[in-house]
Amino acid sequence: MPEIFIDNVRYEFEGKPLVLQFMLDQGLDPPFFCYHPSLSIPANCRQCYVEAGTPVMNRETNEWELDEKGERVIRFFPKLMTSCSLEASDGMVIKTQRTSELVERAQKDTLEFILVNHPLDCPICDQAGECPLQIQTYKYGPEGSRFEHKKVHKPKRIKLGPKVILDAERCINCTRCVRFTEEISKTEQLTIISRGDKNYPAVAPGTEFDDPYSLNTVDICPVGALTSSDFRFKARVWEMNQTPGVDVTNGKGCNIDVWTRDNLVMRITPRFNPAVNDHWMPDFGRDDITRLNENRISKPQVKLDGDSIKSSWSNAEMSMAEKLQEVKPEEILVIGSAFSSVEDNFVLNKHFSALGAKEAVFSPFIKEGSGDGFLIEDDQYPNTNGCRLLGLKELSPSELEASIKESGVKLVISLEDDLVGRGAVSAAAFEGKFFVYMGSNHNETSAAADLVIPISNSVEQSCSFVNTGGRIQRTVAAKETMYTNRKLNLEMSMGRLDRYGTKFDNWVSDRNRIDCMPAWEFLERLATLSDQQFGYQTTRDIIAEIASVNEKFSGVNYDRIDDELGVPLISNEQEAKSV
Amino acid sequence: MKETYEFNKEDLAEIEKIKAKYPDKKSPVMPVLWLAQEKFGHVEPAVQHLVAETLDIPAAHVYGVVSFYTQYYGERKGKFVFDVCTTLTCQLCGGYDILHHLENKLGIKAGETTEDGMFSIQSVECLGACGYAPMMQITNGVYCNNLTTEKVDSIVDGLKSGKMPEFEQIPFPQHQDEQKNSEG
Repeated sequence: MPEIFIDNVRYEFEGKPLVLQFMLDQGLDPPFFCYHPSLSIPANCRQCYVEAGTPVMNRETNEWELDEKGERVIRFFPKLMTSCSLEASDGMVIKTQRTSELVERAQKDTLEFILVNHPLDCPICDQAGECPLQIQTYKYGPEGSRFEHKKVHKPKRIKLGPKVILDAERCINCTRCVRFTEEISKTEQLTIISRGDKNYPAVAPGTEFDDPYSLNTVDICPVGALTSSDFRFKARVWEMNQTPGVDVTNGKGCNIDVWTRDNLVMRITPRFNPAVNDHWMPDFGRDDITRLNENRISKPQVKLDGDSIKSSWSNAEMSMAEKLQEVKPEEILVIGSAFSSVEDNFVLNKHFSALGAKEAVFSPFIKEGSGDGFLIEDDQYPNTNGCRLLGLKELSPSELEASIKESGVKLVISLEDDLVGRGAVSAAAFEGKFFVYMGSNHNETSAAADLVIPISNSVEQSCSFVNTGGRIQRTVAAKETMYTNRKLNLEMSMGRLDRYGTKFDNWVSDRNRIDCMPAWEFLERLATLSDQQFGYQTTRDIIAEIASVNEKFSGVNYDRIDDELGVPLISNEQEAKSV
Repeated sequence: MKETYEFNKEDLAEIEKIKAKYPDKKSPVMPVLWLAQEKFGHVEPAVQHLVAETLDIPAAHVYGVVSFYTQYYGERKGKFVFDVCTTLTCQLCGGYDILHHLENKLGIKAGETTEDGMFSIQSVECLGACGYAPMMQITNGVYCNNLTTEKVDSIVDGLKSGKMPEFEQIPFPQHQDEQKNSEG
């Protein structure tokens, strides 16, 4: 197998890797700015310099030439090479800043040039803490600035588009954002304008950066030049927790990181998953923070004389149990939801089937033609395939409305799905029925309900979703509710503020903890009244049971989903659509 | 009212000829911008969009090219544009003195245009005439070499009366002796 020597350590490689990517894969930390594994390689930041050499081959004997000590003669390239664009070859010798003073000096000088016109105001910069330029200046940079002249001033706070703001002074012209619009989103809206020390990225005059994927440029910007207009100056990165999750605003199920502070979701960024979304996600998925934080249903609500009033959990349980006793099992209509998780749908269906009700139904939310063939799908809900695989009965909106209106139905139980708001069912359809809505946000459907049960959403519990490609992926609880606790739930991530903050400082509070519980947990509590509970403690128990009773989910568990970045349940794409 | 710009049939035929010379559709942008500037006198954003549409390339790309070269006028300029070189050689030989003299004389700053629309001044990068520094170019045309403040004054006065300075041929130093010899 071909070999390469990096800082006197021998590595073997296959194929034709680029030296920088190979070093990254080996867990080394070469410095770089402009390189991005999913974009083309311009090699313009010059920060990944290495000394590179190849052994000399004796053309007659086809053997490596040896020196008097019996070691290979290495012929080094006359100048330093950018490792990002250098292809590894057999026997290649690489010296990085760890072993080569020349490389160390080159990186220091490159950084000094980059910093000549870069503002040195990290304490007020939004990127501080997650800034490659800051990190690398600490690691490899000069100790101070020798630049005594006035820096070149460029425009600040330019609104490139509705979501992206540019600070041209901070830009180091790595062109990642330009390459993103040219190669990934293909809108080609950005370019670098002007020249020399005056250049910076811009849109064509009279246009705006309204790319549906525009915020990805903020993620890949290696400095604080591009910032998100929603998130800028809202939180420092070291104050937040980062928890893996799944985007539930679209059927694609992009992998995300949920950033929380004091139990508020501050921002959502894409998480790398080569099988689903690579490094990217659409902008509207990030807007989901408003739904996760605001307008939440906290505490159960009952309708009394047309007014919705807050009630206690025990009251909610009792009134629901009473209703269940009043009606016959065949008079119950259970509506599952492609918006809710596999676990919630499964427990809902199992619970009411045990009471003798008919199989749960669901109605997918598909907007034909709204997809773009990249990361935006027609399917607006994250778990349509999950409901199909669980065997829920799929109804069109009109069929669903008809079955709600059926005179035989007296009790309607619906899992989180804004049926009225999205135009599937009219609010009038629920008249004359007792309508129980289990949801996490106030909406037109919850307004129509007689009893509203607040349930945890996808960032308040660990739960799984099956995307349009038939891949099951899961979220991890990121936000505490009234009844969960980071310190006890070892799966939840804990940031510095969570660890060291107290109720008596300004940083953490109980203010943002919602009085809600997962739908399955409520159903379990309800079942204890009649002693028919199934004994689930966590969603892990539920997925284990699903895997054992439903062969389509066989072999699925959370550990496997975590290790393999999701498990494909449907291999064939055609099959996925027709399940 | 916003002016609209369009290419007529002859222009489009010319553009087709230009396009035929290049392997891809991004490359003809410079000659086509040049053609547009000759026709309209400038390449303002509206013209940039026209060029982008005509060549079917992103408008941002055209904007990048226009803003890179000082020879393209991304905004309307005066009748005569003084491109004063301030790159190293000219700078050392007094390029900024010439620039500031022009600024004071015309009462505008570099990058501005006089109110009567006659003159604009630009501070530009090297125009490749370091041997005759300090120098400037007038409206992408004549090079005025070995400038002094007096020479600048006479050029400006000449232009006001409609007299464009003539192109002066300056022999290379190594050829100067030959010239002297031939002059006898």
